[in-house]
Amino acid sequence: MNREIAVVAFAQTDHRRAGEELSEVELLMPVLHDVLARTGLRTADLDFVCSGSSDYLAGRAFSFTLALDGVGAWPPISESHVEMDGAWALYEAWTKLLTGDADTALVYAYGKSSPGSLRDVLTRQLDPYYVAPLWPDSIALAALQAQALIDAGEADEPALAAVAARDRENAAGNPHAQLRGPVPHGDHVVRPLRRGDCPPVGDGAAAVILAAGERARALAARPAWIRGIDHRVEAHALGVRDLTDSPSTRLAAEHAGAFERPVDTAELHAPFTSQEIVLRKALRLDGTVRVNPSGGALAANPVMAAGLIRIGEAAARIHRGASDRALAHATSGPCLQQNLVAVLEGDPR
Amino acid sequence: MPDVLKAPLVVEFPFTRSLGPVQSAFLTGLRERVVLGVRTTDGRTLVPPVEYDPVTADEIRDLVEVAPTGTVTTWAWNHAPRRGQPLATPFAWVLVRLDGADTALLHALDAPGPDTVRTGMRVRVRWAAERSGAITDIACFEPYDGAAAEPDGHRGDFADPVTGIVAPARLDYTYTPGRAQTAHLEALAERRIVGERCPSCRKVYVPPRGACPTCGVATSEQVEVGPRGTVTTFCVVNIKARGLDIEVPYVYAHIALDGADLALHGRIGGIPYDQVRMGLRVEPVWTGGARHPDHYRPTGEPDADYDTYRELL
Repeated sequence: MNREIAVVAFAQTDHRRAGEELSEVELLMPVLHDVLARTGLRTADLDFVCSGSSDYLAGRAFSFTLALDGVGAWPPISESHVEMDGAWALYEAWTKLLTGDADTALVYAYGKSSPGSLRDVLTRQLDPYYVAPLWPDSIALAALQAQALIDAGEADEPALAAVAARDRENAAGNPHAQLRGPVPHGDHVVRPLRRGDCPPVGDGAAAVILAAGERARALAARPAWIRGIDHRVEAHALGVRDLTDSPSTRLAAEHAGAFERPVDTAELHAPFTSQEIVLRKALRLDGTVRVNPSGGALAANPVMAAGLIRIGEAAARIHRGASDRALAHATSGPCLQQNLVAVLEGDPR
Repeated sequence: MPDVLKAPLVVEFPFTRSLGPVQSAFLTGLRERVVLGVRTTDGRTLVPPVEYDPVTADEIRDLVEVAPTGTVTTWAWNHAPRRGQPLATPFAWVLVRLDGADTALLHALDAPGPDTVRTGMRVRVRWAAERSGAITDIACFEPYDGAAAEPDGHRGDFADPVTGIVAPARLDYTYTPGRAQTAHLEALAERRIVGERCPSCRKVYVPPRGACPTCGVATSEQVEVGPRGTVTTFCVVNIKARGLDIEVPYVYAHIALDGADLALHGRIGGIPYDQVRMGLRVEPVWTGGARHPDHYRPTGEPDADYDTYRELL
């Protein structure tokens, strides 16, 4: 079955260092209400609900079941969850709509990183035999990738700093961002990465609503049609990969149809400056493409939601007529381990 | 609104993992100061070795020894080592392609400072003094300016192979229960039991979690309930929990407090375990300066009619 499926609404929290006065459901619920209000839908109108989160962030077992309190899951709803970024929850919802079993879906994601030490928490996603016992933290692994890029002559520290400055300048126009405008580039955290090359650690949540065909046209003045979406993963071992390239991103982009026609906008989920350089190359983005008008993950990086936010930001620009064809990217794992690419389009104006 | 409560929360457990044949040989080799790789069907040697080729997905079992010397392929200077990392003093994270291997291994390099490290530099394994069959049997790498060491041609057959690893994991959190549960816990410390009412369906949730799970809206109107309530259902616990100073058997019950629309959990005391029954009327017992009830005990009232709590089961 070939159905047209669109993002019809997007909402997100303001992303802040610590939303400690709020539980996860208290953080998430206003976003759910916001995204529903944008379409006039109620929970009972949704055919499918899918979420992305990780219990390791806040150290709360089964936190996603408590988060469901914010959806209002009675009478019982059709629901699923991925222990991944919400972009992959959106992928699952997209396939559900493709089957024709559902016409509308709510996708949400949240991350409350403030209770733990994110750099250490993320070591627990690594190979448990050969890598995790060494506790290499997320910034260390990104720094190995950055140095490989520098050794290859594809970047230097000023080039990395320029990526950070451009993204955070863009974020000045994004009221939800955590870092808005210039921030000091700072000292090395793990050399060659400086503080400014790294994303802020913060708490946040986001939600989108998907709808198919005529339902999408009824719910949004200008739906953001998902023309293609695909995700690919690279070899597990870091030492097997060429860290200066992202073949999985390129392959996902090919399968999503990204190279068939130029895009005017790209929202890239690059938590580290060096990763944005790798992604620009893999996606063949030149100076004609507006990259990360939201500021990207360097301006706000609520883990597990930051990828979904890229899709939401790209869709929101189509909704308001600021883009006609946009690419959205999400990543998961160390050094761009797994990558998802979606291509969104608005109807001709 | 009072400040939200906070408490340290440590999540810690040892992961016990079994090993496949290639992982077992590799980690046993480290114990014996031998580094093994695995040969792929197209002739590459992967170190650390895996059981399936990451490119072709072929099952690969052809183990070959490589040298404990190699070349840095990328590095990153870690001036502030973190808990659990291989060295406690500043070091470089490195990917090292060992002599004889086609892929690189992640580990630490003990070097005096970042100016002494570069991609392409030669390094060798520094073995840990005590080895058990784990990646940490390599203590770290160290700078090395000699020739490539010659491996002995070991093929991975060991008399006493390791078959598993125990990997301890510990993460430290600062737990905050959020607005609604903080208010509930603060009231408990004052020996009051406070729930929150849903503005839509009017149900009162105790303990409150900040949202009505039926309606999906925020609860905020605080409602004092109980302190008395009714046992709606219960179980008899016969297994003593580690670190819990309660004699078994004891009764753990769902208790619908008067005025609440959801039963909460509590232990029943002050009555032999085999006399607890559905409909039993109970009240909370606070002990000493406790911030929450220790258990619930019978009030002596007549049992509640089934119809008064059937919707709360």
